[in-house]
Amino acid sequence: MTNHWIDIRNADCVLIIGSNAAENHPVSFKWVERAMEAGAKLIHVDPRFTRTSSKADIYAPLRSGTDIAFVGGMINYVLNDMEQNPQNYNMDYVKQYTNAALIVNPGFTFHEGLFGEVKDGKYSAEARETWKYADATTPATDPTLRNPSCVFQLLKKHFSRYDVDTVCNITGTPKDVYLEVCRTYTATGQKGKAGTLMYAMGATQHTYGTQNIRAYGILQLLLGNMGVAGGGINALRGTSNVQGSTDMCLLAHILPGYLAVPKEGDVSLEAYLNRARPATITPQGLAGDKSANWWGNYKNYIVSLLKAWYGNAATRANDFGFNYLPKCDPGVNYTHMSMFEAMGKGKIKGLWAWGQNPAAGGPNSNGEREALGNLDWLVSADIWLNETAEFWKRPGVNPADIKTEVFVLPMACSYEKEGSITNSGRWAQWRYKAVNPPGEAMADLEAMNLIMLKLKELYQADSMAPAREAVANLDWNYGAHITADAVAKEINGYDLTTGKLAASFGALKDDGTTSSGNWLYCNMYTEEAGNKAKKTDPVDAHPEQIGLYSNWAWCWPVNRRIIYNRASVDLNGKPFDSEHPVILNYTPDTKWQGDVPDGGWPPINQAKAGEKYLPFIMKPEGVARLWGYGLVEGPVPEVYEPWESPLDKNLMSHTKNNPCSFVGSFMNNRGTPERFPYVGTTYRCTEHWQTGIMTRNLPWLVELMPEMYVEMGEELAAEKGINNGDRVIVSSARGDIEAVAVVTKRFRPLNVAGKTIHQIGVIWHFGYSGMATGDSGNILTPHVGDANTAIPEYKTFLCNVRRV
Amino acid sequence: MSKGVLYDATKCIGCRACQVACKQWNELPAETTTNSGTYENPPRMSAYTFTKINFTELEHNGKFQWVFNKQQCMHCQEPGCAEACIVGALVKTEEGPVTYDEGKCIGCRYCMVACPFGIPNFEWDKPLPWIRKCTFCADRQGAGLKPACVTTCPTGALKFGNRDELIAEARRRIAEHPGTYVNHIYGENEVGGTSWLYLSPVPFEEIGFPTLPSAPVTINAERAMAAVPPVLVGVAAAMAGIYWLVQRQQKIGQKAGEEEKQKEKVK
Repeated sequence: MTNHWIDIRNADCVLIIGSNAAENHPVSFKWVERAMEAGAKLIHVDPRFTRTSSKADIYAPLRSGTDIAFVGGMINYVLNDMEQNPQNYNMDYVKQYTNAALIVNPGFTFHEGLFGEVKDGKYSAEARETWKYADATTPATDPTLRNPSCVFQLLKKHFSRYDVDTVCNITGTPKDVYLEVCRTYTATGQKGKAGTLMYAMGATQHTYGTQNIRAYGILQLLLGNMGVAGGGINALRGTSNVQGSTDMCLLAHILPGYLAVPKEGDVSLEAYLNRARPATITPQGLAGDKSANWWGNYKNYIVSLLKAWYGNAATRANDFGFNYLPKCDPGVNYTHMSMFEAMGKGKIKGLWAWGQNPAAGGPNSNGEREALGNLDWLVSADIWLNETAEFWKRPGVNPADIKTEVFVLPMACSYEKEGSITNSGRWAQWRYKAVNPPGEAMADLEAMNLIMLKLKELYQADSMAPAREAVANLDWNYGAHITADAVAKEINGYDLTTGKLAASFGALKDDGTTSSGNWLYCNMYTEEAGNKAKKTDPVDAHPEQIGLYSNWAWCWPVNRRIIYNRASVDLNGKPFDSEHPVILNYTPDTKWQGDVPDGGWPPINQAKAGEKYLPFIMKPEGVARLWGYGLVEGPVPEVYEPWESPLDKNLMSHTKNNPCSFVGSFMNNRGTPERFPYVGTTYRCTEHWQTGIMTRNLPWLVELMPEMYVEMGEELAAEKGINNGDRVIVSSARGDIEAVAVVTKRFRPLNVAGKTIHQIGVIWHFGYSGMATGDSGNILTPHVGDANTAIPEYKTFLCNVRRV
Repeated sequence: MSKGVLYDATKCIGCRACQVACKQWNELPAETTTNSGTYENPPRMSAYTFTKINFTELEHNGKFQWVFNKQQCMHCQEPGCAEACIVGALVKTEEGPVTYDEGKCIGCRYCMVACPFGIPNFEWDKPLPWIRKCTFCADRQGAGLKPACVTTCPTGALKFGNRDELIAEARRRIAEHPGTYVNHIYGENEVGGTSWLYLSPVPFEEIGFPTLPSAPVTINAERAMAAVPPVLVGVAAAMAGIYWLVQRQQKIGQKAGEEEKQKEKVK
């Protein structure tokens, strides 16, 4: 989240899209209710009327996979209204804090859904150049926003095709409801008003999921909702500590602190930096004339990370151990689906599934379960036996046919170990051990420590081991009994010349004199304050009490609760919203009050020439990108159909699907509307958790939701002769499942392009392991995913349903 | 001051943490359930399920709604169960909870008949069965804590406090958000008033609340009991009267018969 949970109560309007917040984040939903008690309206956009919709002022149904049309239409609505009624919007914000005024390469083209030449699922390098600014280092600007090549006009032109009729034809949303959503939400564009946008997997799990979020970003920026209280782009993370996992970068493409993973061409640290570290871009003609380009500090962070990992083995002479890091092969995708394809082809011999259950959580469960059978060995580290650990004896297979050797490591659950959890709002909160784990179950940290000590020993002893030094030279000095405390300090980092904890990432250096396991977390554990994740002061000390609670726990970066908060004040430093200011009262002596400012520099109009810092410090150009060239499939979102679509064409252009999606090479059986006429989606319910391992073994939760079920509308059920409570078979091109039919008014058929579209949905919490069993929802889902991240398209596919 | 709980259906998200908290605090076992086409489970309250959330899909004023409501013992101000209980096992306390003492219970189950909400449940499957129902966490209240369900409710749909203050709060919410609530606080006056009070966005009968008079259930018992002496006396008098009449008829008949016999003898 750019903001945080409690801040939601400051919103004048709450838009929940691609999320079922009340269902899956029930505790945090109270902040939505606080906003509503203070007069905010709640808008919920979802294919299905859910627990969240039950509290909404406006519920807007949409066909799963049509967010870009929906939000693109809202963007069009705003852009048109902005030209008619600029006084209803914060034009200073749009002109000075976003790249609306910047001039784009005149060679930019857009034709029939494509932004240039695509070959083999990739835009050419030449095409991608045309998405950049006309002047790549000192782009010109047009503060009147009239230049036809300026971002604002290009946006207008692009989204002019997203008129209300076209949009509602694609999404199936009734037009009057859609217009009500537009009117209500875009009212937050008023100076001093804020709209918060909450989203989750309903937005991301699509073949263009990243562009869905881009659309949200564009909308929020046009409305001046970024960096302000009650605003923001707020991802509701899918588990309690996935924010922590992504911060520590347990992902294939990044190192801790969101640093780039090295690739084959990075022959040295310098080569790596030339590729990864962005050069500063300085827009010409805005009030702000200085871009902080905070990623310019890349070298400080990567070198400090290497020092944390390799200690004294990382020196200037060996590029600080940079070449110890494994490098990705060119053109190879290392994400989940690609990995399982490789496994399916017999290329991967061993798998460590640590607190993960791909046999039920991955797409195309049957395909992934079969792939597991090609492994020589599999380790499942979990608190219960799960479908992955038991894949070899799943229904329908003969264990004698499977050669995989499976090891199960019993792990401690969250109350049985100590550590931190980082919530969606970036707050790292400490957790304490309440009881000992049962039997041989062990805390993950302890298990990992013992494994690494053994690995180090083995690598040290074997002079022929490949990449031996990468493991042998690791600075792994926790002893036999590792503590979360020691790791927390290491993640924060040290001034290696004094041995003291580093104060913040501002103190990290690129010369090997500092270490930090994750620069974002530098400042969490300091000499003066100790481990700030342990802080529990429930006082809201902000001058206007906007709910920051800055002394409760600690958040990154440097405890800044609302990021980009310099965009919450005007060029003179006056808050746009006097009732909910984030930072305020700047004086040269006392500096800023309120939240940790996103750059402590003076307001733009008070600063010296050449030091007028722009507010979006993580972008090389210092302003936020309405128009962006960093994603693979285009500088702005464009409507495509899901990989499995009920329509035979895209109503917006002649390019039916996202040309750059991860499509894979097998395991990706594709269905057609003739065999599978209904739009299927997967989702969660309050009572169960992820693949159900933690909840299907708990009697009180099984009592609430005992069985696998599928929800469908009354009209569809009547057509198929299905009564409420009947057992049915749901099928897709990947497989069949049996489930109980929950026939409900909450799924209504939609009118899409003159066709009646029925949508049905299944939960994905069930599997063959544990106390309460049932078929896995993911047996249905396709093995394809997002163009940028390869997150699977769990949220929209084609299926059929019939009575058993 | 008597405690109560205000349940606001516009804040409830139907998460059922309250159902689980109740089970956990009261150490109740999970029941074996199936999905019959609804989120509701267990299908009804029992000796092992003191509270449940109901889910109703309906149209109201042209708007589709999904409304939740929490069912449990209402802890009536003048409970019919306590009135019906012939051994005084059920008692309305000053603090609010209607408590149950299994030490006194004889298992007659009159309370089950008397309750207008059908709350008291019987341990049918036990050889020594007791009545079971929501206790309003009287033990927790005694320790200065709120009921388990209230404590766990994530949104604050459940609010615990003095009954009169909750009624004032409910009136405030209705006044400040016109159109959000139906203008009625269920439990303020029904059957003499209940500790558990409800606010709803739709008419209460549409989400399963019984429509009840404001006269307490106990009035029926009082009326019935008050009628006993006159009925007793009246019936006794009537019976006595009939007996006297019958006896007199018999005497008359006997006398007439004897006279006949005398007449016969003389002939």
